[in-house]
Amino acid sequence: MKRLLQLVFTWWNGATAGTLLTTSRSGQFVGEDEFGNRYYRKPGKDPTIGVERRWVIYKGEADGSAVPAGWKGWLNQTVHVAPSEETYQPREWQKRHLPNPTGTPGAYRPQGSILRAGERPAATGDYQAWTP
Amino acid sequence: MLSDKDRIFTNVYGLQPASLQAAQRRGAWDGTKFLLEMGRDWIIDEMKKSNLRGRGGAGFPTGLKWSFMPKQTGDRPHYLVINGDESEPGTCKDREILRHDPHLLIEGAMIASFAMGAHAAYIYIRGEFIAEREALQRAVDEAYAARLIGQDNIHGYPFDLYVHHGAGAYICGEETALLESLEGKKGMPRLKPPFPANMGLYGCPTTVNNVESIAVAGTILRRGADWFNGIGRPNNVGTKLFGISGHVGTPCVVEESMGIPFRELIERHGGGVRGGWDNLLGIIPGGASCPIIPAHLCDDLIMDFDGCRAATSSFGTAGVLVMDKSTDVIRAIARLSYFFKHESCGQCTPCREGTGWMWRVISRMAEGRAQKREIDMLLDVTKQIEGHTICALGDAAAWPIQGLIRHFRPEIEKRIDQYAANPHIDPVPVAAE
Amino acid sequence: MPKLIVDGKEIEVPPEYTILQACEAAGAEIPRFCYHERLSIAGNCRMCLVEVQGGPPKPVASCAMGVRDLRPGPNGEPPVVFTKSPMVKKAREGVMEFLLVNHPLDCPICDQGGECDLQDQAMAYGVDSSRFHENKRAVEDKYIGPLVRTSMNRCIHCTRCVRFTNEVAGVGDLGAIGRGEDMEITTYLEHAMGSELQGNVIDLCPVGALTSKPYAFKARPWELIKTESVDVMDAVGSAIRIDTRGREVMRILPVVNEDVNEEWISDKTRFIWDGLKTQRLDRPYIRENGRLRAASWSEAFALIAAKVKATEPSRIGAIAGDLNAVEEIFALRQLMQALGSPNLDCRQDGAQLNPAFGRGSYLFNATIAGIEDADAVLLIGSNPRREAPVLNARIRKRWLAGNLPVAYVGEAMDLTYRAEQLGAGAQTLVDLANGAHGFVEVLRQAQRPLIIIGQGALARADGAAVLAAATRLAVDVGAVGDDWNGLSVLHTAAARVGALDVGFVPGEGGLSAQQMAAAGALDVVYLLGADEISIAPGAFVIYQGSHGDNGAHRADVILPGAAYPEKSGIYLNTEGRVQVADRASFPPGDAREDWAIIRALSDVLGHRLGYDNLGALREALVAEVPHMADRNQIAAGALELPAIAAAIAQMEPAPFASPVVDFYLTNPIARASAVMAECSALARGAVAQAAE
Repeated sequence: MKRLLQLVFTWWNGATAGTLLTTSRSGQFVGEDEFGNRYYRKPGKDPTIGVERRWVIYKGEADGSAVPAGWKGWLNQTVHVAPSEETYQPREWQKRHLPNPTGTPGAYRPQGSILRAGERPAATGDYQAWTP
Repeated sequence: MLSDKDRIFTNVYGLQPASLQAAQRRGAWDGTKFLLEMGRDWIIDEMKKSNLRGRGGAGFPTGLKWSFMPKQTGDRPHYLVINGDESEPGTCKDREILRHDPHLLIEGAMIASFAMGAHAAYIYIRGEFIAEREALQRAVDEAYAARLIGQDNIHGYPFDLYVHHGAGAYICGEETALLESLEGKKGMPRLKPPFPANMGLYGCPTTVNNVESIAVAGTILRRGADWFNGIGRPNNVGTKLFGISGHVGTPCVVEESMGIPFRELIERHGGGVRGGWDNLLGIIPGGASCPIIPAHLCDDLIMDFDGCRAATSSFGTAGVLVMDKSTDVIRAIARLSYFFKHESCGQCTPCREGTGWMWRVISRMAEGRAQKREIDMLLDVTKQIEGHTICALGDAAAWPIQGLIRHFRPEIEKRIDQYAANPHIDPVPVAAE
Repeated sequence: MPKLIVDGKEIEVPPEYTILQACEAAGAEIPRFCYHERLSIAGNCRMCLVEVQGGPPKPVASCAMGVRDLRPGPNGEPPVVFTKSPMVKKAREGVMEFLLVNHPLDCPICDQGGECDLQDQAMAYGVDSSRFHENKRAVEDKYIGPLVRTSMNRCIHCTRCVRFTNEVAGVGDLGAIGRGEDMEITTYLEHAMGSELQGNVIDLCPVGALTSKPYAFKARPWELIKTESVDVMDAVGSAIRIDTRGREVMRILPVVNEDVNEEWISDKTRFIWDGLKTQRLDRPYIRENGRLRAASWSEAFALIAAKVKATEPSRIGAIAGDLNAVEEIFALRQLMQALGSPNLDCRQDGAQLNPAFGRGSYLFNATIAGIEDADAVLLIGSNPRREAPVLNARIRKRWLAGNLPVAYVGEAMDLTYRAEQLGAGAQTLVDLANGAHGFVEVLRQAQRPLIIIGQGALARADGAAVLAAATRLAVDVGAVGDDWNGLSVLHTAAARVGALDVGFVPGEGGLSAQQMAAAGALDVVYLLGADEISIAPGAFVIYQGSHGDNGAHRADVILPGAAYPEKSGIYLNTEGRVQVADRASFPPGDAREDWAIIRALSDVLGHRLGYDNLGALREALVAEVPHMADRNQIAAGALELPAIAAAIAQMEPAPFASPVVDFYLTNPIARASAVMAECSALARGAVAQAAE
């Protein structure tokens, strides 16, 4: 029931009804990334945009920064081989993709920010107390 | 053409000894006591009537200058200071007096000191004049020994004369910087007013005169103001030591009457311009600080204060620098510019910063490594220095460049065009001079 | 008085005015770099050029030309000066361009940025772009001491610093070497400057060539909050401006006060601020089992209350220190009186000054500005160069004006001006007082003789006799009169005059500070910022102060107070001038303003003082000491001559020695300052070198 209401009234949870309809009618599933976002394409050149149409259906909230770098390249027509069809293995020192945490509790707080937990470092203007 | 009987400096070439006996034979110290007995007012009056203009470059009437001293000696002593710091490139007249006719100077110092109530006089000699100082000191010692000067002298006027040797700075030829140097301080010009006649050496009334102005005083008084006034043109009277140097046949120092045509001076005494009169490029009439006069103005140039001013230059000290057509005039002026940059005392801003700026620009122009618009900029910089400084060194540094741009602008433009047409590889840039 | 017309406005000015001063009087602004009111005229920056009608067709330097030297017009019209004509504008632009050709464009990294004369005047009088395409001059930076940082590329050779050190500081440390473009300002062989006033060259420098070394790259002027205050490092009470950012004091600058410090301050005043950040007492401490431990205010108060209640009032004493404001001294006096103790003293150095001799017996009666009227000076047991450098500069200023014989009784010293040593100790003073010394005749001849008595002569067992002898001498030579009172006491402690005024001295049968400090004299001693005295073991010591210094080390209970920028207070300088310092910052941690601590303690002790805020305290203070209300005024003090004369006693032969042995380390704040420690080490090194 909730999913149905979301589908009807929101656009930021997964896909909208129209997208789902398009996906079911002409979408060809290409692959899924480590966050569970699913990628589709419509084979052949789309006459309105001149290239192949590719899209993503997010798992959960729609957030553009949740698309990993490889899939981003494929979505933007930078590459034509989807990461799922590649044999590329990330190096061990490569960091995992991280969606932009701005606006979430995981957001970056600079040193000395009052929103940052833990001990506040000494600021200039502090004094050095006498100790007996 | 000055006749021999009208010459004041009869030993300017050192053909006779400089000693006291020889000088007295030539007429020095003759009747000095009688002149002093005529009184202060008579001496100053006579000097005024002689219309002697200062021989140091500015041409201020000497008698008038003497009359600026307070009439009565108050609690501050009066001083006479004689400026023998002859450092201007191209000028070499005072050294001949110091070397060969020092007794005329010492006698003149005695008379001038008497006229302004000074009991002590200082002669400040340029640092590089070693032999000249020795010659002068010898003469002073002779005069002391003969009791011509000193506390108890035969003239009945206590008078001491000190020879002070400078340390070799051009700026110490400026009268107030000279006083500072004499007091043992750094030779930096003072602000005027107060003028030295009011606050001079050690804060006392002081008159600063050129060596030649003082040295001629004795003879003028002996022979009378009318005699001196009768030589030369009105307002530019008397005889003058001319120094001729540069591209002439016989460079020399010669005593001539004021108002002698330049061409006559060069051809009679200087042996003519090298390569003939038509080979003349230009002259600097009175030492390095005077603007250059191009050849076409030299044909009927009269050598005196007003004549040189008419040619938009200045008579200065009459040390004539002659340049023939082999001269790279831009490089010549750039070298003068370096001289002024080197000799700026650094006290006041326009001269300290401006002389270096001008030298850098003009030396680039000498290579042609400049823009044509920079000529106007350079002219503007010289105008910004001129008249904005404490002493006249700023003006002196600005004038040669102004003269160059006024008369040789096409030359500079040609140089720039040549360079632009065939640029050299740039020299390795230097980080800081 | 000569008249002249400045920009079409006719004004009349005194004949000794320069054109620049006349233009200022007429409301015209003249830019300048080298000209400074308190220094000699150099006339070398050429920025102040103006056009004068009738003179030569070139602009004249207005700072150097007197209005007397101007020629009137042909029909006697007043001379005409233009300050805004095209010629003047062109001249200023030209000079500004020359100043900037070799000035680096490093304003973003320059400490002078934002308060730079060259920046401001380039904005107002300069042109927008440079035509100078050559290489700029590079000058090596010089070492001139631990206080002044140099950046010689920026120097515009105005020579203000040279003139200051030569004329005001009187040391001749700085000079210019080289000539022309290569002229450089430096000390001889890059020695450190040896003046106690050298920090003032930082203020004088119109560009960023001389900047404050401790303050380097710490703050920008526009982010600082400026609070005017009073200095407590010596008893001169110089007017200062405390610049703070947040609660941190970033720097201290002088404020013009013609009556006191003109516009100079000593290095100790200027560079003390790093001492305000170290060794701070920020919480109460209690000594338990021989060790101090942090405690709460209530614990500390409870311990004090228990101790005080168990002690006879006559076995309780209080000693006030040198940096306190009048308010807390007054509050402590009232508390001690309420407790019934007569043991009060503010003279921890043992100076024999007593309000019973009249207020005039402990003031600098001649006033600091009055030094300039003096025509003979005798210093008794005082080294003003170390004790009050700004005051010493005033004496030097008077000495430079000429005809000022200066002599001193005390150890040989260099005062930066010529002074004759008459003798070292009391015997010479007795000779003087008996008229048996040649200098007495000089003092008698003088219209306004000034006799300065220092703490070196008074802080001795025979101090009262010294004061008596000096007073006798002063009366004898006519120094004490209706229009001139030359008998002047030079204090070293900023709090001393205020404390004497509120009567913080032993009451009937009370003990003096020295007696209180002796072993077994008292059971409870309250030290209000008193660090220069050591209390013998045995007594229970309560120390209230701002820094962990001698007093805190000895204390059994420590009450953290506020340092002078952190509280508002009244200070009386050595003249007796009432000056009010404003609060610039806040006390650190749990520390509180001192009067509030005493007020809170009085509650715990059961003798509640009758005021809850500073205003009420000041009302109570003024009710008792009325002249405390007269800000920046000096209430004339009487001199009880018979009382003083009664104190004739045998004097010790020991020479008078200035109490300030090390100028840089005279109080707890200075001793906490790293900069002062460095200066002190340097000064001691210099002394050792000189003695070799």
